[in-house]
Amino acid sequence: MSWVQAASLVQGPEEDGDVFDEEADESLLVQREWQSHMQRRVKEGYRDGIDAGKAVTLQQGFNQGYKEGAEVIINYGQLRGTLSALLSWCHLHDDSSALVSKINNLLDAVGQCEDYVLRHLRSVTSQPHVVDLLDSLQDMDLSHVAPAEEKIDEAKDERFCENNAEFNKNCSKNLSQVDCSSLECCRAQEHERPENPSLTWILEQTASLVKQLGVSIDILQHLKQL
Amino acid sequence: MAGDQDMFDAVVMADERFHGEGYLEGYEEGSSLGIIEGRRHGTLHGAKVGSEIGCYQGFAFAWRGLLHGCTTERDSKKMKVLEALIGMIQKFPYDDPTYDKLHEDLDRIRGKFKQLCSLLNVQPDFKISAEGSGLSF
Repeated sequence: MSWVQAASLVQGPEEDGDVFDEEADESLLVQREWQSHMQRRVKEGYRDGIDAGKAVTLQQGFNQGYKEGAEVIINYGQLRGTLSALLSWCHLHDDSSALVSKINNLLDAVGQCEDYVLRHLRSVTSQPHVVDLLDSLQDMDLSHVAPAEEKIDEAKDERFCENNAEFNKNCSKNLSQVDCSSLECCRAQEHERPENPSLTWILEQTASLVKQLGVSIDILQHLKQL
Repeated sequence: MAGDQDMFDAVVMADERFHGEGYLEGYEEGSSLGIIEGRRHGTLHGAKVGSEIGCYQGFAFAWRGLLHGCTTERDSKKMKVLEALIGMIQKFPYDDPTYDKLHEDLDRIRGKFKQLCSLLNVQPDFKISAEGSGLSF
C-alpha cells in the first residue's frame, strides 16, 4: 500500500494557506476519508466481535452463576425454614408472644443477610474486564503494514479462566469480610468472627431459642454446615 | 493494469484487516462480558431456587426433630409426608439450571410442602426475600 504511505507522508499545509494548493488539499481530504472509513470499519468489527463473543459465553456464565447462587443462598433458606418451623411450633403450642416476636426478628435478620449476600455476589461479577477501544484506535497506526499480532490463542482462554477464578476468590474473600454493621440486627453486636458475624449471631440466638422452647438442640443439626 | 489490481486488492485487504482487528478485540471483550452478564443473571435465578428449596428443607428437618418421639397415628402420617418431602428435595439437583425436569420437580416439591403444612396445621409465615421465592399462600 505504498500510495497510502505516500499519502500519509504528505504534510498538509495549514488550512488558511492551502486555498490555492489543490493537489495537497485533495490528498489530505482523501487521507482523512480513508482514516474515517477505516475507523468505522474497526468499530463495526468491534461491535460484531462483541456480539459474537457474548453469544458464546452467556450461557456458560449463567450456569456458573446459577450454581454459585444456589449453593451460597440455600444455607440462608435452610435457616429461614428452620426458624419458620420454630415459629409455627410456637403458634401451635400457644407460647408467649415474646418468643414469637423474637423469632420474627430473627427471620427478618436472615432475610436481610440473604439480600446482602446476594447483592454482593452479583456486584462482584459486574466489574468488567476492560479493553479500551478508544486507546486501541489511537494506537492503531493506519499506515502500519506489518502483520497483526496473533491474538486469539490458548493463553487468552487461560486468562479468562484465571479471571473467573480471581472473581471467585475475590467473591469469597469479600463475603468473609462482609461488614454487616449497617444491618439493624448487628448494631448492638460485637463482631466475634470476621466471617459473616451477623449469621453467627443469628445461629446463636436460634440455639438459645430452641433451649427456651424446651426442645432438643438436635433439631438444628442440619444447620451445622453454615 | 496489474498495478491497479494490486491497489484494489490492497484496499479490500485493508478494509477486511481493519474490520478483523476490531472484531478480534471485540470478541475478546464480548466473551468476557458474556461471562459476567451471564453470571449476574444466573446468580439471581440460582439464588431464588436455592432460597426456596433451602427453606422447605430447613422447615422439614426442623419439624422432623420436633416430631421426634411422637407416636400417634396422625403423627406417623405427618412423618411419612415429611420423609417424602425430604427425599424429594435430596434428589433434586438444585444447582443445575440445565436439569430437564427442573420446573416439574419444583412443582411437585411445592405441592408436597403444602400437603405437609396442612397436615401440621400450620400457616407458614415465610419472610420472603426481596427477590421473592414464589411462596404465597
